[in-house]
Amino acid sequence: MRTFSFDIQNIIDAQGLNLSITGMAIVFTALMLISIAITLLPKVLQLLAGILPAAGGHHGQPAAAPAKPAVSAPATDDHAIVAAIGYVLHTRLHK
Amino acid sequence: MQILLDFLGTTGIATMTWGNAIMIVVGIVFVSLAIVKDYEPLLLLPIGFGVVVGNIPSIASMALGVYDEGSVLSYLYFGVSQGIFPPLIFLGIGAMTDFSTMLSNPKLILLGAAAQVGIFLTFIGALYLGFTPHESGAIGIIGGADGPTAIFLSAKLAPHLLGAIAIAAYSYMALVPLIQPPIMKLLTTRNERRIRMPAPRQVSQREKIFFPIIAFLIAALIAPGSIALLGMLFFGNLLKESGVTDRLANTAANGLIDIVTILLGFCVGASTQAQTFLTSQSLLIFGLGALSFAIATAGGVLFAKFMNLFLKQKINPLIGAAGVSAVPDSARVVQMVGQKEDPQNYLLMHAMAPNVAGVIGSAIAAGVLWSVMVK
Repeated sequence: MRTFSFDIQNIIDAQGLNLSITGMAIVFTALMLISIAITLLPKVLQLLAGILPAAGGHHGQPAAAPAKPAVSAPATDDHAIVAAIGYVLHTRLHK
Repeated sequence: MQILLDFLGTTGIATMTWGNAIMIVVGIVFVSLAIVKDYEPLLLLPIGFGVVVGNIPSIASMALGVYDEGSVLSYLYFGVSQGIFPPLIFLGIGAMTDFSTMLSNPKLILLGAAAQVGIFLTFIGALYLGFTPHESGAIGIIGGADGPTAIFLSAKLAPHLLGAIAIAAYSYMALVPLIQPPIMKLLTTRNERRIRMPAPRQVSQREKIFFPIIAFLIAALIAPGSIALLGMLFFGNLLKESGVTDRLANTAANGLIDIVTILLGFCVGASTQAQTFLTSQSLLIFGLGALSFAIATAGGVLFAKFMNLFLKQKINPLIGAAGVSAVPDSARVVQMVGQKEDPQNYLLMHAMAPNVAGVIGSAIAAGVLWSVMVK
């Protein structure tokens, strides 16, 4: 059966405190650099917009055309028909 | 008659020890928690059944258990003991993870760094208790709340503690909804828990494609020990975001990660044979693991409060608790605790940022500990 000796000297001998502070500093530095890179990324991409291929396109193909809206705007004729129905209803209801 | 008596002498019933019986009950409890309470079923069920399998006493002359050379289970366990499975899990996680919320609010990444304080303070605690530096490093990583990372580092630094560390890490990950809320409430005021955060901005596809490459280069150049884990994590993410490898991304995010999860969970469970697992050091590891989780949670929350001292647009300090990398459980807990104070407050998306940053942070911490310890 293994015995454990609870002793602050164990931490000092293994340079535990130094290692922990250094470790946390490295983790913070790495993630802070990633954070800075992410912050700058949109600006860099904007600068490179002319060089980079269109987003979504690959194998030399152009990017897919934007999807059409689910509901298309009514044509001019439709407006006229709606206006006519509205007029008829209005005149009938007020007779 | 003698043959029958000889056979009866080799049965599991005849050679069963109290330790094996206790571990079999523990395994059944894990399986029950997975099925009845729905606690991390994808992990607890394979681990629980593995515990049952691993604690059936084997015959001395037969190679059956994970530690018996040449046994089938030892070949499966090879993926655990050599740290092969964890990077494959990370590949799947990368292929499943959407980093958009993190990309839309980069300052939240720092919360993922702050929560790693649990790893290093537990490292000091383990040293104090008399564990060797290698063992302490492996125990400390439990505070990262990341099962694969804990297994990976234990396999490298302290293989003899792998079973206890893996079980502690996965058990506490399953218990996140019980461990974190009291700490979160203790360290925040009601008004702080009610802080609403603006919706994250839309992130372009290009940013998503560039991110895994840039983040990997930064992390790996600073902490090369994290190459295996972070390389696979970001590679998986690039498969997903590139839009040209959908088949590979689907395989990594579904079939591959499922297969590896099954093998990893089962083998970790099967490695908890009573003779090696039921020891005083396992109890200490469990105690340190709980402490590690609590410190990590507190570290994230307190750092969020610290950040608020300088920020005009305040962040809800609850999301700091998601800095531990139990994805997505910690983020869900943040959402749950936040909505208890304000049912219209949706913190889940915001909490996912420190949550995925925590995965990166704990892998970097593991890389740092590994590279320092192997010198």
